[in-house]
Amino acid sequence: MPLPKRVIEPIHITRGTLPEDYPLPSELEGVTNGSLANTVRQLSSLSRHAEDLFGELARDAQQLYDRSNSLQARIDRLAIKVTQLDSTVEEVSLQDIHTRKAFKSSVVFDQQIFSRATMPTAMLETYTTCDRPPPLDKLNCYRDDGKDGLKFYTDPNYFFELWRQEMLNDTERMMHDRGKKPHRPRGGGGGGSVVDGGQVNRHKKRVRQPHSTRERQKQIAREHGEHIMPQNTIYRTPQQLQQQSQMQPHLPPEDLAMIPHQQILPRPPRPNSIEIRRSYQQEVTDGIPSSPTYDENPYQHGMYGQGPLSSESLYAGGTPTRGGKIRPSQPPPAPPSNNSTPSSNTPTRNRGASAGRDNLPPPPPPPEATMSPPPSNGILARVANDSPHSRTATPEPSEHLPPPPPVKQASPPPVVAAPPPPPPPPPMPAMPNGDLVKMLESSLPKLTPVKDRPMAKPPAVDPRNDLLKAIRDGIKLRKVEKIEQKEVERGGNGLHDVASILARRVAVEFSDSDSGSESEDSEGWGENETSA
Amino acid sequence: MATPNRGETVQKQIQQDWVNREYIEIITISIKKITDFLNSFDLSCRSKLAGLNEKLTTLERKIDYLEACVTKGETLT
Repeated sequence: MPLPKRVIEPIHITRGTLPEDYPLPSELEGVTNGSLANTVRQLSSLSRHAEDLFGELARDAQQLYDRSNSLQARIDRLAIKVTQLDSTVEEVSLQDIHTRKAFKSSVVFDQQIFSRATMPTAMLETYTTCDRPPPLDKLNCYRDDGKDGLKFYTDPNYFFELWRQEMLNDTERMMHDRGKKPHRPRGGGGGGSVVDGGQVNRHKKRVRQPHSTRERQKQIAREHGEHIMPQNTIYRTPQQLQQQSQMQPHLPPEDLAMIPHQQILPRPPRPNSIEIRRSYQQEVTDGIPSSPTYDENPYQHGMYGQGPLSSESLYAGGTPTRGGKIRPSQPPPAPPSNNSTPSSNTPTRNRGASAGRDNLPPPPPPPEATMSPPPSNGILARVANDSPHSRTATPEPSEHLPPPPPVKQASPPPVVAAPPPPPPPPPMPAMPNGDLVKMLESSLPKLTPVKDRPMAKPPAVDPRNDLLKAIRDGIKLRKVEKIEQKEVERGGNGLHDVASILARRVAVEFSDSDSGSESEDSEGWGENETSA
Repeated sequence: MATPNRGETVQKQIQQDWVNREYIEIITISIKKITDFLNSFDLSCRSKLAGLNEKLTTLERKIDYLEACVTKGETLT
C-alpha cells in the first residue's frame, strides 16, 4: 500500500454534514452548506501542503544556490591561481614531488537518509498519528539478559545491525585470513568472483567454503556452455601424475606433460581430452593472431626483464599453456592451499577455456583478450609466449616443477607485477584509494570525512558498548520526538555508520589485494568469464 | 392549491440543490487540478534539483582534485 505523503483533509466533503440533533428547515441547503464548508477546509489543507511543498523546494534550491556560490568562488580562485602558474619559472624538484601531500578527497557519504530526521514534515505528521508501540521497554528492569524488550516488538535498526555485524565479522575474518596469508592467498576473491560477476565485492569475499564454491563455479560454467573438468579440485603430485599416465596410456607424451598442470582427475577421461584439445587450439590461435596484442602488454617486458625469473622461466618453459596460466596460483604447495587454489585456479582456467572457446570462431578473440584486465593479460601474455616452448619442453622439468621451491620465486613476480597496473585506467583510480586506505589504517581519524567519526573511531572496544547503549537510548527516546535525542542518536552512530564500515572494509580489501597481488586478477577473470 | 404549490417548492429546492451540487463539483475539480499541478510541479522541481545537485557534486569533486593538483606549498606538512 503506498503511503501518501500529503493527505488533504476532509476526504468526504458531503458526508456527515447534516446535524442530527435538531431539525433543519431545509435539509438540502444544510448539506450544501456543510459541503461548501468542507471544501473550504480542503482548500485550506491544500494551501498548507502547498506552503510546505514550496518551503521544501525553496530550501533545497537555497542549498544548491549556496553550494554553487561557494563553488563559483573556488573556481575563481583556482582560475587566478592557474593563471599565475608558470612552468618556466617554477621548477618542480623531485624531492618536492615526494614530499607533496597525496591528494585526499573528502567525500562525505550520505547516510541515514531514511531516518526520522530526514522525514518530510507531512509524513511525520502521518507518523505521529500512528499508534505507539506498547511500552515493552518498561519491562526492561525485569529482564536478565539486559536486552531491550521493545526490540523484540519493533527495531528500526534491525537490518542495519544485521548488515553491520556481517560486515564487521567479514572484515575481521578477512584480516585474520590475511594473517595466515601464505596458505590461502586470494581464495575468497577468486572463488566468489566466478560465482557471480555482478555481485558486490563483499559477497565475493564472503564465499569461502571451497566445496560450495566449486559447485557453484561448475554450475555457472555449465550455464555458460563449458565443459568443466573436476581437475582443479585436487592438486596433483608427480606420483599422481604417474598414476595418471598409467591410466591414460592413449595420450601422447606431450599430453602427459600437460597433465600434471591441468591436474586432471581420472574420473572423467572424456572431458579431459576435450579440454586438452581445446587448449591446443587456443595455443594455435594465440600463436597466430592474438599474440601481437599480447605483445603490446607492458607487463610482459617487465616480467621478462626481471632477473629472478630463472626458475620461473624454467617453470614456464616446462609449462604448457594452461599450466602456465594456472601457475601463479600453483605456488601454494601445501595441501591446505587447495582451499584457495581451486577458486583462483578456476577463474584462470575458465578464462582460458572461455578464451579457447572464443577463439574457435576466428575474428572475436583479440578484443576479448584485450578486454581482460592488465595483470591477467600479463600472465596470459607470458603464457602465450611460453606456449611455443611448452611444446618443445620435455616432461621432466614439468615433473620437477610442482615441488615447493619454485613456488616462492614464482609468487614474487605477481607482486612485482602489481605496480604496473597503474598505466591502464581501471586500476588507476584504485591506487589513490589504496593510499587513502592505508592512511586510514595508519591513522584512523584522518580519513574521517563524516563529522562524527573521529570521536567514535579511535576508542577501542569499550566505547563501542557505550555507543550501543547510546543508540539504544536514542531509539527509546525517539518516540518522544526530541531533537536533542535525535542528535545524540546520530552522534552515537559514529562507529556504526555506513561510511566508516565501508571505508574500513575497502581498506582491508585493498591492502589484501596489494599483498595478495592477484585478487584483482581473478576478479577480472571472473567478470570476463561472466561477460563471455 | 396547497399540493401543487408544495410540489413546486420541492421541485425548486431540488433544482437549487442540483445547482449547488454542480457548484461544489466545480470547486472540487478545481481543487483536484490544483493538487495535480502541485504534485507534478513538485516532482519536476525535485528531479531538476536532484540533477543540479548531482552536477554540483561532480563539479565539487573535480574542483577538489584540481585544487589539490594546483596547490603545492600549502599542503606540505
